[in-house]
Amino acid sequence: MRIQEHPILGTYDRGEIVSFTFDGKVLEGFEGEPIAMALKNAGVMVHRYTKKEHKPRGIFCAIGRCTDCVMIVNGKPNVRTCITPLEAGMEICTQYGVSAEPSNGGEKK
Amino acid sequence: MKRYDMIIVGAGPAGLSAAIESAKRGMHVIVYDENAKPGGQLFKQIHKFFGSKEHKAKIRGFRIGDELLAEASALGVEVVLNAIVIGLFSEKEVTVKIDEHVEHVKGDTVLIATGASENMVTFPGWTLPGVIGAGAAQTMMNLHGTLPGKRVLMLGSGNVGLVVSFQLMQAGCEVVALADAAPRIGGYGVHASKVSRCGVPFYLSHTIVSADGDDHVTGVTIAEVDKNWQIIKGTEKHFDVDTICLAVGLSPMSKLCDMAGCQMEDNPSKADFVPTVNKYGETSISGIYAAGDVSGIEEASSAMIEGRIAGIAAAAKLGFITEEECNIEIEKQESALEGLRQGMFAPGMRGKIITETDEGVEVSQNLLKKGFVTEEEIERFPGVTHSEGIHPVIECTQNIPCNPCQDACSKHCIKIGSNITALPAVNPEAKCTGCGMCVASCSGQAIFLVNEDCGDGTAEITLPYEFLALPQKGDKGIALNRNGQKICEAEVVNVRTAKAFDHTNLLTMKVPKEFALNARFFKKEA
Ligand SMILES: Cc1cc2nc3c(=O)[nH]c(=O)nc-3n(C[C@H](O)[C@H](O)[C@H](O)COP(=O)(O)OP(=O)(O)OC[C@H]3O[C@@H](n4cnc5c(N)ncnc54)[C@H](O)[C@@H]3O)c2cc1C
Ligand code: SF4
Ligand code: SF4
Ligand code: FES
Repeated sequence: MRIQEHPILGTYDRGEIVSFTFDGKVLEGFEGEPIAMALKNAGVMVHRYTKKEHKPRGIFCAIGRCTDCVMIVNGKPNVRTCITPLEAGMEICTQYGVSAEPSNGGEKK
Repeated sequence: MKRYDMIIVGAGPAGLSAAIESAKRGMHVIVYDENAKPGGQLFKQIHKFFGSKEHKAKIRGFRIGDELLAEASALGVEVVLNAIVIGLFSEKEVTVKIDEHVEHVKGDTVLIATGASENMVTFPGWTLPGVIGAGAAQTMMNLHGTLPGKRVLMLGSGNVGLVVSFQLMQAGCEVVALADAAPRIGGYGVHASKVSRCGVPFYLSHTIVSADGDDHVTGVTIAEVDKNWQIIKGTEKHFDVDTICLAVGLSPMSKLCDMAGCQMEDNPSKADFVPTVNKYGETSISGIYAAGDVSGIEEASSAMIEGRIAGIAAAAKLGFITEEECNIEIEKQESALEGLRQGMFAPGMRGKIITETDEGVEVSQNLLKKGFVTEEEIERFPGVTHSEGIHPVIECTQNIPCNPCQDACSKHCIKIGSNITALPAVNPEAKCTGCGMCVASCSGQAIFLVNEDCGDGTAEITLPYEFLALPQKGDKGIALNRNGQKICEAEVVNVRTAKAFDHTNLLTMKVPKEFALNARFFKKEA
């Protein structure tokens, strides 16, 4: 959910609206905002599933320290989405385990 | 290899202050920070800071960061962002990763001002998406304009938990409860009170039993703990929430000091494993300094002074100023630091149970357990007086290092004195004009203007208001007491907004006069 107007900060400087895909679905976000923010505002909570126990993980620290939010971005796995700026046309996929291997749910390309 | 007079790791208040002092004295300085924005913790802080004017009190945190950066840049300090320092060696060689490449630089002196990182706690379900750190909540709201969730439970009643709870409400979230396993609230009472009067219940001696949900958080269960921190069966309480926010303390990020081989100490009064430093902030390795939260968790105000001291000391070490000059200037800084380190929240007071203020006033137990001072308790504090006409009522009841209220009143109605941690007192001789500067300047939102009897059976209360939508003159609603409970009907009779108030609006409401001493917040509703 976007904050439209904040009592102290007023309105936020946001980039252009751009499209990207999440597991093949087309979504929109603001260019330059962290990928994780665009996903959060589109209602996506789960960024990856752990390798052994298949447990969901999402945003935790939001500053690039915990690696909970890593995903496959343009084919590259383990990208920290909380600090990686969104670009038009990015292909973002749920990550299963630690590699770019697509798994059951996450269909790649 | 590039060489600098001083390499600073961390562009928070400590690092930037050191850069300013050393560059001012002619040193060639570079500052590295891993973030995309400078300011350290400050750029996420949107509340008005504590401290005194000299330490930028009553200025909102993010603006302090901007001010420090502008000052440093004007002095020619190079600030490199997105630059993470990954190595520090005893010969003062620094390895820094900028984007994808690694650089090696050498400093004649090095300052480690890396601040602190958030602690974590575990409970069943703690890894579920929707469980986030308090810092993450701030980053989402205050930098990226994104709500972390709709309904939030906060764990942790230290200043971070209290401040972030308030910020969550300002951004538009509902905070359903604030829980802490400790038996008493850890942060400033004034921060707790502004959360409490909005209706957030406090659950002290409570911890999280579990976070519920399959793919993300859908609820949370908390329960009371006994003296040994064991959960008491049968005391469980459940809340439907989509977000659980953790604010369970900070730990100094002292890894680089350790890596360089600085002598370290386990210091409980400094909250953790920190480098041993002398009065100049110098570690056991000559020319390597540490300042700010990395050498003991404190405040931005003290971090700035520690940074300045390190910058001045480094300048003396390299011969940019004489030792004599250095000692004179450091003495000044030290006495300011001494002043800040008084009162109930001083580093040496950690873990102690305090029963009276420095003035000998019994502290409010209810404040420590529930987050608000009761009507009976509030009367014994020197900021609460009764007189005819409009007058300030200062509900600031602990010895904290803060005094903007005193500076705000040109009529001298408010007195703290030279000891910055003293309780603010109302001067009965002075005449309040109702200008509202004190209400807007109070970092703790603890000052109200009250006219107890307007002559027609009503009373008027002016309070600080930092939420949207801003109520309008003529709006009818409900007055809430210090505990956030509805007590009577209220009508907004004035709303003042001014540049000098810096986004703190002053809302004046009219209530039946028997509620003059209790009505402390306004809610617009039928
Ligand atoms: C919610 C909240 C409210 C607060 N309210 C107040 C208040 O009202 N008044 C007050 O005085 N204080 C307040 N504080 C405390 C204050 O913000 C901190 O004490 C202060 O920021 C510490 O300053 P610092 O320079 O030591 O560290 P920080 O501000 O943490 O800065 C350290 C910087 O170093 C960077 N860094 C760390 N490691 C590396 C590395 N290896 N390479 C490159 N960069 C690195 C970090 O990313 C960070 O930017 C508050 C803090 C919080 C969290
Ligand atoms: S309202 Fe103005 S005159 Fe009255 S106490 Fe506050 S600052 Fe002083
Ligand atoms: S009343 Fe004064 S000392 Fe207390 S929080 Fe407000 S400004 Fe600070
Ligand atoms: S949420 Fe922790 S690294 Fe992104």
